[in-house]
Amino acid sequence: MKPRVAFFDFGCCEGCQLQIANLEEDILKLLDIVEVVSFREVMKEHSDEYDIAFIEGSIERPMDEEALKEIRENAKILVALGACACIGGVNKLRGEWSVEEVRKEVYEIADPKDIEGNPYFDLLPNAKAADEVVKVDAYIPGCPIDRAEFGRVVTSVALGKTPKLPRYPICVECKKNENVCLFEQGKFCLGPITRAGCNSACPNHNSPCEGCRGYLDEPRLEAAKDVIEKYGFTLEEMLKAFNMFNFKKEGY
Amino acid sequence: MNGLKIMSREEWQAFVDKLINEDARQVVGPRSKGEKFVFDQLDSADELRLDHDVTILPPKKYFLPTHEDLMTYDLKHPFNVKGTQEVEPRVIIGMHPYDIKALLQMDKIYLGDNVDTNYKARRDNTLIIASDILTVSENSFAASMDSITVGTGFDLLVTVLGDKVAVQVGSEAGQELLAKYGNATDASQDVQGQVDALRNALPSKYSKKAPSPDQWTDLLSKHQENGVWDENSKKCLECGSCTMVCPTCYCYDVDDVSSLDLKEGARMRTWDGCLLREFTLIGSGEIFREDVKERYKHRFYRKGMHLPKRYGDVACVGCGRCVSACLPDIADPSQLMDKLSQSPSDVAKHLEIPKQSVTTPVEGNLLVPEPATIRSVETLTDHEKLFVIELDSGKPLGHSPGQFVEVSIFGIGEAPISVSSAPGGNTFEMVVRKVGDVTEKLHGMKSGDKVGIRGPFGHGFNTGAMKGKNVLFICGGLGIVPARSLINFVIEHRMEYGQVMILYGCKEPSEFLFKTDSANWMAREDIQHITTVDTCREEDAGAWDGEVGLITTIMPLVTFNPEQTIAVVVGPPVMYKFVIRDLKNMGVPDDNIMVSLERRMKCGVGKCGHCQMNGVYVCKEGPVFTYKDIKDLPEAI
Repeated sequence: MKPRVAFFDFGCCEGCQLQIANLEEDILKLLDIVEVVSFREVMKEHSDEYDIAFIEGSIERPMDEEALKEIRENAKILVALGACACIGGVNKLRGEWSVEEVRKEVYEIADPKDIEGNPYFDLLPNAKAADEVVKVDAYIPGCPIDRAEFGRVVTSVALGKTPKLPRYPICVECKKNENVCLFEQGKFCLGPITRAGCNSACPNHNSPCEGCRGYLDEPRLEAAKDVIEKYGFTLEEMLKAFNMFNFKKEGY
Repeated sequence: MNGLKIMSREEWQAFVDKLINEDARQVVGPRSKGEKFVFDQLDSADELRLDHDVTILPPKKYFLPTHEDLMTYDLKHPFNVKGTQEVEPRVIIGMHPYDIKALLQMDKIYLGDNVDTNYKARRDNTLIIASDILTVSENSFAASMDSITVGTGFDLLVTVLGDKVAVQVGSEAGQELLAKYGNATDASQDVQGQVDALRNALPSKYSKKAPSPDQWTDLLSKHQENGVWDENSKKCLECGSCTMVCPTCYCYDVDDVSSLDLKEGARMRTWDGCLLREFTLIGSGEIFREDVKERYKHRFYRKGMHLPKRYGDVACVGCGRCVSACLPDIADPSQLMDKLSQSPSDVAKHLEIPKQSVTTPVEGNLLVPEPATIRSVETLTDHEKLFVIELDSGKPLGHSPGQFVEVSIFGIGEAPISVSSAPGGNTFEMVVRKVGDVTEKLHGMKSGDKVGIRGPFGHGFNTGAMKGKNVLFICGGLGIVPARSLINFVIEHRMEYGQVMILYGCKEPSEFLFKTDSANWMAREDIQHITTVDTCREEDAGAWDGEVGLITTIMPLVTFNPEQTIAVVVGPPVMYKFVIRDLKNMGVPDDNIMVSLERRMKCGVGKCGHCQMNGVYVCKEGPVFTYKDIKDLPEAI
């Protein structure tokens, strides 16, 4: 029997699920090996009986935490899909402000009566990555995810091969793609400390890497600091770039 | 070949345009990309920039592409493998002498022995129109590396001389190309003089200098403990850029990528680099070159010592690409060698490569596995199973004791596994410990299932050297597996040896392998067999009749004449140091000690680079070495 697959989304734009919907003919190949039982982007049916759960988005509220724990119990394999689920991503930027400030900013004109005590508006102090709440079996990072990498991870899981993400930086792929280094063009790029696997998507279009795939497990921070100094970037530029997807990550 | 030819600049442009428009081959050359240059397809002669200083990537990418399918497989019929892909015939224009020199070095590696089918196909289908250097790259030190001019390795060599272009013919194919599309006449002595003048003026244009390449090996041998290794490696980003852009780097990784419907897939090869952390990672999770300093050093030692020892050339042509690519400014070989030449030297260590390399007999594509069938599976312990394998060709494997095979499961990958049976017969045996994806999958397979086999590879035990001597086997854990192949060989030829002693230890009774074999050895009068376990729980004690204690505790239980004894030591990395220490104390000479080592033997044919200890390929010179040959290699034991 084909493994049953369900997609779930939390705090996110659903862009990563859209990437999967955009696989077009390839999605039919995927349906050869799995049965999709829940996928809001492409179907209205839903089932709670599944083997593999794909989690998109970051965990924002106590009720999300409960929902995710329940998914974890139902699923044999839980896969974090995209930057928000893998590392918290841009949603973690709200950690700069208190929950009250965030609520005021977003729902300023709403009647406080509707918000107070309503679980839908009850926020955690900051957004969480899926693995801050439950055990995650595989990661497909990126904002949005890379479709080729999605294929590699999914086929690996299906074949019983450990899905492996590169443990080297974007620079490796960037060099293979023969890009002109962005540092040499005076741009600040997070490629040297960011995990590869996207085939250096942004540098291929002459845009600096913004670290959406998360940092390496063992990034060479001291070495990176030397380079940043050498190229004359300011602390402000640096923090802005660092915080975008990896808000106040320890050590940075 | 004929003498020098000459054409006008217009005639040269017309030649290139004709080549692009009329020749069936793809025509590539240096084109501008931002403020840099890259080799890329030419759509018109105007795009060709013979005035380029250097390209971001070397033209190596046309012979060993950044990514390529080594074979495609069909998961329903895994052994209907399609080997080498169609190779696109190509003409490369504008290759500089340093890149030609680098390519000729690459030929020694990929075409010298264990020929790489894909590389050869591309090499055979490519014409090279070299060009003299017109603009010197600020980071290049090619003049110091004797690589700014070149006498061979091209089909045509062009020199732009203002409004004229001189053409030197380097091969018949080049001659034909020129005759077919070009309009060149014989050049006068005067033109030759102008070409010589251009080349003679080149060295003075290089402000960057390096110690002469013939000093590099010596410098590296004398500066293994130099402070520069610490100082520079601290700044290293481990980004691998220096190896990615290098024209003489040739290491690669291989991975199976399957289609989403799991019907088919490709075994893909892509560039890898020794600066990257996982380069030496093996299935069990061990990383053999974990320290960034050791990886940083390895790159320079490879270029300046290991490759010169093996192939005769310093593997650096001074193109300066790594200098440009390295953000922390530590990759520059000229700077590093210069620094070494100015430091006081420490004790010279030469890191010799043992001359026992094995060339696998070439029969078709060495990287394509042949189909084989699992004939039986026996569970030995919780983690180990014994597989009996038969090649579908019906031929015997043809291995010698100590050799290994690459076992392949399409969609998952390949793993190196020791052969544990004695040579001979139409089947062979291997014991597989469940440690990674391939071995995990193997454990789920049963009699009748198919696997792919490549090999046998590597240098096995020198059985000739053992004849007439005593043989002492000291095996720890899984080390009994490759040793068993030799033990059974020795037993089959028992009369030819003196004492035979088999010491075997493992962690605990549940991990004890080859119980039947062990009982047979125990029963024989002419074999001394002692077994031990590191620890034995009380509940196991009844069933365990061997010793308890580390393998070194049973070594004093055998007596022998050390000069007349060959010790065969096979076990986990941690075991070697202590066992060898005790053997030396017993008086066993270094060249009487044989060891079998484990590394990440990915290709098995001395190319991919993963199994290297310093300059030694474990898949070629090993896995079996005499202790004498490797005792001075810092990465060996």
